[in-house]
Amino acid sequence: MASLVIDNVKKRYGSVEVLKGINISIEAGEFLILVGPSGCGKSTLMNSIAGLEDVTEGRILIADNDVTYTSPKDRDIAMVFQSYALYPNMTVEQNISFGLEMRKVPKEEREAEVQRVAEMLQISHLLNRKPGQLSGGQRQRVAMGRALARRPQLYLFDEPLSNLDAKLRVEMRTEIKKLHKKLGTTIVYVTHDQIEAMTLADRIAVMKDGEVQQLGTPQEIYDNPENLFVAGFMGSPAMNFIPAKVIEQNGTPMLELATSATVALPFPKPESLAPHLGKTILLGLRPEMITEPQPHKEGQEFVITTDVEVEVTEPMGADTMILTRVNDAEINCRSNPAYPAEAGSIIKMMFDTSKAVVFDQATGERLDK
Amino acid sequence: MSNIANKRQTSGVDKILRVALYTVLLIMAAVYLLPFIVMLITSLKDVEEIRTGTLLSLPASLHFDAWAKAWSGACTGNSCGGISPYFLNSFQIVIPAVLISTLLGAINGYVISLWKFRGSDLFFAALLVGCFIPFQVILLPMARTLGLLGIANTTTGLVFVHVVYGVAFTTLFFRNFYQSIPSELVKAARLDGAGFFTIFYRIILPISTPIIVVTIIWQFTQIWNDFLFGVAFSGFDTQPVTVALNNLVNTSFGGKEYNVDMAAAIIAALPTLAVYVFAGKYFVRGLTAGAVKG
Repeated sequence: MASLVIDNVKKRYGSVEVLKGINISIEAGEFLILVGPSGCGKSTLMNSIAGLEDVTEGRILIADNDVTYTSPKDRDIAMVFQSYALYPNMTVEQNISFGLEMRKVPKEEREAEVQRVAEMLQISHLLNRKPGQLSGGQRQRVAMGRALARRPQLYLFDEPLSNLDAKLRVEMRTEIKKLHKKLGTTIVYVTHDQIEAMTLADRIAVMKDGEVQQLGTPQEIYDNPENLFVAGFMGSPAMNFIPAKVIEQNGTPMLELATSATVALPFPKPESLAPHLGKTILLGLRPEMITEPQPHKEGQEFVITTDVEVEVTEPMGADTMILTRVNDAEINCRSNPAYPAEAGSIIKMMFDTSKAVVFDQATGERLDK
Repeated sequence: MSNIANKRQTSGVDKILRVALYTVLLIMAAVYLLPFIVMLITSLKDVEEIRTGTLLSLPASLHFDAWAKAWSGACTGNSCGGISPYFLNSFQIVIPAVLISTLLGAINGYVISLWKFRGSDLFFAALLVGCFIPFQVILLPMARTLGLLGIANTTTGLVFVHVVYGVAFTTLFFRNFYQSIPSELVKAARLDGAGFFTIFYRIILPISTPIIVVTIIWQFTQIWNDFLFGVAFSGFDTQPVTVALNNLVNTSFGGKEYNVDMAAAIIAALPTLAVYVFAGKYFVRGLTAGAVKG
């Protein structure tokens, strides 16, 4: 287990800058997740940490040692790949012990280590099989076993679950979390699945275009997104973005909302709206903050109930998503399945802005920080 | 579903087309097999029968004298020891040449596909040009090179020529095969602590069997059947069997012994035939393996 410091790392391919000065620092035992759309540089950053690609500028420190120019095998890192990259000609046992063999660990120790890892991952019965004879989930376990056997200082996971089917993905996700709790290892984990990021991470780094947009705990990122991109990227269904005009009512800046009726929406930090009076800004409101009227919330300070027209409903079992239109923007609301909402009908919905955020329409920057 | 398939009626047109198809296939097979049949029949006749009978008439009785003579008694140029010494020469050239060119091709392909470096694509393109250079073009420069290296007219020299000429092809084969191997395999091995040759030897080579077979068959056939390099660069004692066969056919005292010529030709062709029979299915499999995965 070791801490990891990424200090102003830049990577250029010719004139294209893939990483534009990344600064991340994590403690020993921390679980860091890198998320972002494809092409945001997260895999490049991962390869740079592993030493598979050289960085153009900056430093990488593992356990306070500068490893920027150290070869991959001397960094004491293990990596789990999306394609698992199991050696097809070797049995599961040989796959797991290959790294130990390369490090000249004596045979008895290797065997003991393979046993330990195999039991931990419940793959003892597969040790004599070749990767070609395993299912996707089993291969995934073997790939993890190969990483665990070496007991490295740092684990890198490169989208390890994205080749599994949905059910297995959820199972393995829990298993990885348990393993991390049990072993207390430092993990850097790349994914484009924001649910994986939310559930697993101690901290999340949201990346876009070779830059870290925000680094924080899952809840911070969810509740307090730095900008429009982070807000839209995390959460499923995504946060609603409603263009709304800043108006003044009784001396307080509010947001104008035109549904079936036009209402003024209060905002927790009215002072941050004041400079934008008369202009249109983007209101960010998560679907779960727009619900059917809930009696216990009635009369609260930032809650307003108004009429909306239902466009489509999507029952999801636990909730029903109601698609409606506010200020000419399509928005998703999360309601109780028992609440009657038929497409085309006008129903009452409750808007709770206590956790709402606002962004500049042009730059996407947060306005109420 | 299977019931429906069973009950499906084949129409008359279908049947006629099927018969036509097989007829065409049989004719094609005959066209390809006929020369070999004529060779075989002729090699088993005696000279008298060849003169009196037609090409396709079967021998009255089987004579194996021609085979024995071709192997160890026929005259090729000045020596009259049959083609057996040259048959061995060919093996001495082919075996090292095939093995070395295959190994070099494998390493080249490994580097070009999985250890890309700046300009590796250009390097590969340049190497590909080698596949299109006609034999004749390199005769003179190669003769000079062999002379300078002091291996003119030797078996070593011929091996050298075939390796140099073959590496372009073997590299192409291996490179294409290794393109389908995910680069993550190499990354994983590097993180596990394996080096360049360890990865090649422990991980890449063991999964290369199909392409190794393809390359060996290809190179074996090419080098065994080569005549031009053989005739240009071999010494009197190091001629390959193809050159000896030519000499045998062109050397005649008195009447032409077609039966001996035919027997010698079949003997000279046997090794390549054997390779196809034993490894042919791998050849087809290996050629298509990369294509499907692509």
